Amino acid sequence: MPSTHDVGGASGFGPIVREAGEPAFHHEWEARVFVLTRRLLQLGFYNLDEFRFAIERMPAEAYLGSTYYEKWFAAIERLLAEKGVLP
Amino acid sequence: MSGTDDHDHEGHEQSTSMASRVGELVAKLEAKGILSEAELDAAVEGFLLGTQRAGGPALVARAWVDPAFRARVLADANGALDEIGVDMTHWVRVKLRAVENTERVHNVIVCTLCSCYPVSLLGPSPSWYKSLAYRARVVREPRAVLAEFGLTLDPSIDVRVWDSTAELRYVVLPRRPEGTEAMAEPELAALVTRDALIGTAVCRAGAAGSRDP
Amino acid sequence: MSPRFRAGDRVRTRAVNPEGHTRLPRYLCDREGTIETVHAVYPLPDDRARGVSVEACKKEVLYTVLFDGREVWRERSVEPLSVSADLWDSYLRPERAR
Repeated sequence: MPSTHDVGGASGFGPIVREAGEPAFHHEWEARVFVLTRRLLQLGFYNLDEFRFAIERMPAEAYLGSTYYEKWFAAIERLLAEKGVLP
Repeated sequence: MSGTDDHDHEGHEQSTSMASRVGELVAKLEAKGILSEAELDAAVEGFLLGTQRAGGPALVARAWVDPAFRARVLADANGALDEIGVDMTHWVRVKLRAVENTERVHNVIVCTLCSCYPVSLLGPSPSWYKSLAYRARVVREPRAVLAEFGLTLDPSIDVRVWDSTAELRYVVLPRRPEGTEAMAEPELAALVTRDALIGTAVCRAGAAGSRDP
Repeated sequence: MSPRFRAGDRVRTRAVNPEGHTRLPRYLCDREGTIETVHAVYPLPDDRARGVSVEACKKEVLYTVLFDGREVWRERSVEPLSVSADLWDSYLRPERAR
């Protein structure tokens, strides 16, 4: 089981990059993924811990190589498949 | 909503492909009668509107002018938020804890395991808060991180980092800047930046209208 | 369910995390800390992440545990700090007061 997400104290991630006047979302699809994730949770397809665990189960390369909302989308896809909603 | 990587060809293509993948998934869910595209659009609109009403600065300004309210914020932040009409329900109704900066202690908030953040109070978190670099570093070298943010703390101040590992969300109650004694609540609220509520900045008089970097 | 610890009690976190989802960060494994706040009883995320319902899952008292930076980072310490995390009862065991 990868524990790539458990990064407290890890070295090598470099400086913290900040973006001036950052918008809430950088792309429309990110906003879609955000509300989709929340809606499916409210509908009871998964709980918050299952959602977090789905992100944590990503292979390390995928976890480190994906943007924030790409990880969310991967987690939704995986959970909907595992639960037989969209096999 | 504008893409920031429009000039980055590879990033643009990647994003276009994500947009179509998300669209396909939503279409499948809609075909199954689980949700509708219109409903998601409304949810996005509602969320973005809600973020403009983010309650953090109002909470702090009231706490600065009303010592009894401040005591209630520290003892039971959810109860205090109910008083000023801010709802902490986002994913679920979360318990909020306010941690107070003093002459002796400076507080900073992080979630090292994922990116827990008081969204309903502060709006969506900035990308740097969710970055691996912030999550990795701030629990080991907070002073160095704060210095990069332009905040150099006196060595006599204790730094306390709160790692949000459960369904408890944290918000920093910053110190009221000197020279603001005559200001009313709305003016004070304008001094309270998002970063001050995370603990990577302090509030400064004359900072009204300034934006977080 | 009455809390096993009180504010001020010394505790040690478990040394190794189990397989699966858990909310004890690795950097806080096998570290001595102090109970700062005793919270309510919460569903155990380790169970919930496996899809166990709120009704059927384990519930445990949640604590905010405060750690000194020197205890956490030891030879990797670079500056003074304290750090806290919110941890479930089964992540902790009692540690004799120093």
